[in-house]
Formats: sequence, structure tokens, C-alpha cells
Amino acid sequence: MNQARAILWAQWRTLLNFYPRGGVAWTAVIGAVWYVCWSVAAIVTARLASDPANLGMLKNVLTGGLLLVFLYWQVMPLLMAATGASLELKKLYIYPIPASQLFSIEVMLRVTAAVEMLLLLVGLAIGLLLNPAVPKWTCLSLAPYILFNLFLAVGLRDLVARILAHKRIREIAFLLLVLCAGLPQLLMVRGPVGDKSIRALFGDSWIGWPWSATANLIERKSIEQSLAILVAWAFAAAVFGYWQFKTSLSFDAEAASATWIPSTRREGLVEKFFRLPSLVFRDPLAALIEKEIRFLVRSPRFRLVFLMGFTFGLVIWLPLALGRSGLAKSALGTNYLTVVSVYSLLLLSEVCFWNSFGFDRSAVQFYFLAPVPFSLVLIGKNLSAVFFILVEISAVTIVCATLGMPLNPVRLGEAYSVAGVLTIFLLGAGNLLSIHQARAVNPATSFRTGAAGRVQAMLFVIYPVASIPAGLAYLARWAFNSEVAFFGVLAFDAVVAIIVYRIALNSAVEAAQRLKESMIAALSSSEGPIAS
Amino acid sequence: MTELPPAVEVQNLRKVYGNKAAVDGLSLTVAQGSFFGFLGPNGAGKTTTIKMLMGLAPPTSGTIRLLGMAMPEQGLEIKKLIGLVPDESLLFDHLTGGEFVEFVGRMYGLDQKVARERSLELLELFELDGNRKKLINEYSKGMRKRAAMAAALIHRPKLFLMDEPFEGVDAVGARLMKDILLEQVRHGATIFLTSHVLEVVERLCDHVAIINDGKVVVEGSMDELRGASETLEDAFVRAVGMGRTTETLDWL
Repeated sequence: MNQARAILWAQWRTLLNFYPRGGVAWTAVIGAVWYVCWSVAAIVTARLASDPANLGMLKNVLTGGLLLVFLYWQVMPLLMAATGASLELKKLYIYPIPASQLFSIEVMLRVTAAVEMLLLLVGLAIGLLLNPAVPKWTCLSLAPYILFNLFLAVGLRDLVARILAHKRIREIAFLLLVLCAGLPQLLMVRGPVGDKSIRALFGDSWIGWPWSATANLIERKSIEQSLAILVAWAFAAAVFGYWQFKTSLSFDAEAASATWIPSTRREGLVEKFFRLPSLVFRDPLAALIEKEIRFLVRSPRFRLVFLMGFTFGLVIWLPLALGRSGLAKSALGTNYLTVVSVYSLLLLSEVCFWNSFGFDRSAVQFYFLAPVPFSLVLIGKNLSAVFFILVEISAVTIVCATLGMPLNPVRLGEAYSVAGVLTIFLLGAGNLLSIHQARAVNPATSFRTGAAGRVQAMLFVIYPVASIPAGLAYLARWAFNSEVAFFGVLAFDAVVAIIVYRIALNSAVEAAQRLKESMIAALSSSEGPIAS
Repeated sequence: MTELPPAVEVQNLRKVYGNKAAVDGLSLTVAQGSFFGFLGPNGAGKTTTIKMLMGLAPPTSGTIRLLGMAMPEQGLEIKKLIGLVPDESLLFDHLTGGEFVEFVGRMYGLDQKVARERSLELLELFELDGNRKKLINEYSKGMRKRAAMAAALIHRPKLFLMDEPFEGVDAVGARLMKDILLEQVRHGATIFLTSHVLEVVERLCDHVAIINDGKVVVEGSMDELRGASETLEDAFVRAVGMGRTTETLDWL
């Protein structure tokens, strides 16, 4: 217990030491808004569950609701790659701490991955406790369900973390995982066929599922059988969680991510690709772009978001574009290419715009030392971002064409122009943010935004503002019913965007000189015994 | 009197990354109470070996016994008896020096009060008391190494595993650390360290092994290794086969 207390104490000290420098206020505000919303949902749940008049309604939604809780708890943290707090096993494994004790702490920390669901379940439990028509003990039915979810979340997280540590399969595994996010939406939009599929998948009538067993226990149906099923699930999840945790303890991430020496022929082709900037630009700009392209191509995180741009982006927007009326008839369907292209910009944004120094963080010291103007460094980063965005949109276009989406030269021009104008505005803002809010990100292991609360709050403002010029072009198209008006406004937007970019670039260069010490310090930081 | 088991005993240790063996059939025995230097050129497999000894990297094959106990089977018992000066990435950047040393003490099962008292004494011994409230990430490289060594001593271990403990440490700090380590050996502790600084190894260590391409190429007492008139540097260069003459580049 002493060691567990010491770990929690060290993490508490780490947070206290870290956050005064990182802007705790913004993080607190964003967190407070989010959790207040979920607390309100929990109170509503409690009120509904406490009223005997709602029992009929509760019975109808309980199984589905508990299934949603399960999906949110297990799948959402993985999809969002926001897996909550967890032990930094590499740092703690060298100390004599029993694995069982570490596992207990890890299970407790799993709560942070889905506090929202815990709030809802506690709300439900309180409601059941207060409901005079329901025996008091029914609220305890939720305890094994919570334990089941906690243990399973530990096991799944460890399993996924180990899979993602393998260079060869990391991106593919993660991509498949995120593509699954589009499935329910796709199934639902297909109407009765989808409803049937969902029912077939989760079978709300089968008592063997843990959510069905919990619901039956609350409804006092087949009590012994339901309780046995639920306890069995919780026990199985505990065994699975501990097994995965123990395997992770002795897991060698370095060996898993070790590369094989590539063949000379492949190396030659890749090398030619990396040398492409030298055909267009002169050194040192060509060397800077080349270095960025080399680095980003080798960064697993970047490869993943790049792949997601023309796969996940297409899947996630497809159901909405299809609607019930079909692709050609819906407004989103006709603008599908532009929507997916802009969405892919958002996916690439953290690497390409908002934190362009955070991934190859040690390089920033070199940039300040090299006899190269800092403006050129930023331009090099921006040009490599433009290169990847162009490739991304081209990939989206090819996939759309392959899938037989409605495409014509105007739609193509629209997608590239809108994304282009937006990119210039975002590059301008991104250069400033990359200097003022630089933060260290691990390009090999981190699959979450890692953005501080203040940055997230700023992004809420920056995206809509940067989209206004493109919005005006659409307004012009609607008002004049003319493509000329649309592209005319976009051309004007591009001129404004370039002016804004130039001003932002100068300001960013000036800020970089002023803030270089704090920037280098921010990019050198690492985490405590518990990573989030 | 029963004979003490070796402090470190490894047999046919192998560690493969991808298609490259970082450590390739390494066998080594270090007697208790010795000051052992583990040397080798860059990329020879020193850090990989020490990581395997610490339990941070499971070997691909081979066996490890520390203080007579098998690693990783008796890992928990072993860890209680060893002090580590690990790679810098294993420090906690956002703890202060004082908090870090106290934290390590508590990890080794010391009572919070005892850990706190000892951390204060150790930081004073390592001349870090003036920087006790500074964050580790604000420490210089040498200060980080001194903090790591202070933490390694807090539970009075029997065996020290140290990865480049003198790297970045100034002359005064290095002298202090050397004195403390020699004192530990006099009290019966065993020290296993890797270092690039051959002068330090030459002055401190009684036994040395030189590793190259994942294999031990020379092992023995310091006197055996140096021979009659050689320095350790000469013996090292000869052992790793890097005795070529300096070539100059036309443009240089």
C-alpha cells in the first residue's frame, strides 16, 4: 500500500509541478464544461430511475442503454486514443513492486478513461435506490457490471498498446479500429436492414450478454442465472485484464518496434521520393523540406492520420452523404469530395499546423543554431505540409472516383480551391500557435491530440474563423447562382489568405526569437509515473 | 563459511532486435564485492546488457542470475537488493530532486519519514541540497546523474547496476561519486558499471570485461588486461580491433 500511495503522491506532485507552467485554468474550464454536462445527464438518469411511473420506459431502454455504456467505455477511449491515465510501466518496473499491486493501481486509473459512464451508472444506481417500487439491493447489480468494464478496459488497453508497438501492424490495426466507428452509423442509415444487423450483432434478447444480464438483474428476471452470468463475465474480464497486464509488464517495446534492414532496391526508390524537393527548390529550403518529408513519413502517428484522411474520412461521412435518399440527391452527397478533403485537413492539422515542432522536438535546437533564417524553417515546414495535403486530397479524389462518387472538373476545382484557401489561413495561424504553444509529442507512440486545454479552446475559435472566407464563396454561389462568383470570391480569399499568412509568418519569426528558451524547455519535457 | 554466489552471472545471453543481435551469446561472472567495469565501443551492446540485467528488456535467450537469484523469476527479491543508475529517460522530469529521491526510497519500501530524511541527507552528500526544490528537468546532465546515484543509494543496496554514471558529471562531482562508490565496495557492495571514460574505469575497477558486437572479447582483472606496460586504452583499442591509423580527408 505504501508504494501505491507513493506512486499517487508522485503523480500528484508531478501535476502540481507541471500545470502552473502549462495553463491549468484552460484545461480546468474545458474539463469542467464537459463533466458538468455528464453530471447533468447523470442527475436526469437518477430522476428518471427514481420515479415508479418510469419503470416501463426504463425496462425498454435498459439493455440498450447498458450496451451503449459498454461501447462507450471500451471503444471510445480506443477510438479517441484518449485512454485516460495509466501507469508508466517502463519507469516503475525497475522497482520492487508486486505485479498485483501495480495491477490494482492500473484498474483504479482505468476509471479516468470513462468517468462519464461511471457518472451515468452512479446516477442510475442512486435512482434505483430512491425508487420505492424497486428493492434497494437492485442498485448493487451495477457493481459487477462496473468491475467487468474496468477489468476489460485494462486488458483491452494493454493488448492494443502492445499491438500498436509493432511498427508493421500498428497503423493497420489502428486504422481498422477507427474504421469500425463508421459501421454502426452506416448500418443505421441503411434503415431496417441496419436495424436488423445491429440486433443480430448484439442480440438484446440473449441473456448471456453482460448488459442483458445486468438489465435482467435490475428487472429481477432470472435473478440467480443473471447474477451467475454477470459474475462470470466480471471474473473472465479480471483474468483477461491481469493476463494482459502481466504480459505488458515483460513486453519489450524496443524489440517490437525494431526495424529490418530494407532491401537496396526499395531503399533506392524511397530515396528518390525523398529527394523530390531538390528538383524544385534550392538548398537550404530543399534540405528543410526533404528532412520534414523524411521525418513525417517515418512517424507512425503521422502515417496513421494520413491513412485515416482517405479511409476513415470517407467512411465517416459516407452515411450522412448517402442519407435515405441516395448520394446524388443529398446536399452533402454533391459536396462530398470537398467535405472529405476539408475533414482530412482537420485530421492532419496537429502535425501540419498546430504543433509543427512538437513531433521532431529535438530538431528545434538545431533550427535555432543553424545559419538559416527561421522564416525559412517555417516556410519549409509549411511547404512540406502543403505537399502532404495535396497528396492527401489526391488520394481522397482517387478513392472517390474508384467508388463511383459524382465527380466533375468543377467539383475537383472546388475541393482543391477550398482546401487550398483554408490551408493558407491555417498555416498562418498554425505557425503562431506552434511557437507560442509548442509541446512535446511522441511521434512513435502517441495517438491522441495531446493538446493543452488552452490550445483546444483556441481551435474552437480558429477553425470557424478560418472557414469564413470559404463560407463567403458558398454564399456568393448561392446568391448569384454562379460558379464564376464562387471561384471569384475564392480567388479574392486566396489573396487575403496570402497577406494574412505573410503577417503571421513575420510575427511567428519574431516570437520564435523571443520565446526560444521557453520553447526548447517545453519541447524537452516528459511525463511522470502515470501517463495520460 | 559458505561461498557467496556471484553478484552477476549470465550465460549465453542473447538479445535480437529485428534481424540484428545486439547481444550475441554473452557469458559473464562478477564476484560479489568487486568493482566491475563493462566496456565497449558505441553500439557494442552495453546498454542492452544492463537493461536485461535490470529486467527492462527480456532476453531473447540465455539466463541471468543476480546475487544467486534467477531473473526474472525472482525479480521482486532481486530488485529489493539492487541500486540502479539507469538511462536518463527513467527519471521523473516533473518531480523536484528532493521529491524524486524520496519517491524512489518509498518504492523500495522505506517509510515515508525515513525516505524523506534519507533523501535530504543524500542530496546534501551529493551537493544537491541547494537545488533540492528544482525540477529534475531543470537539472544539468551531471546533476541528473548525481540525483540518480543519490536515489540508487537510498535503500543501501548490495549490487549497483550503473549505466554511464559519470557521463556529463564535472570533475568535482565525479570525484565525489567515485569516493562514495569505493566506500560502498569497501562495505561489501558490488558495482557493475558501463562507462566510456577509460581513465575512471582504470582507477576504480578491479575487474573489466570488454564487449564488441554483442560478444565479450576480453575479460579479466585490471592487471591482466593491461599487461606489463599497456594502459587500459591500449588494451581496449587492441581488443575491439580499432587500431587503424587516422586517415585524413582531402577536403578537411
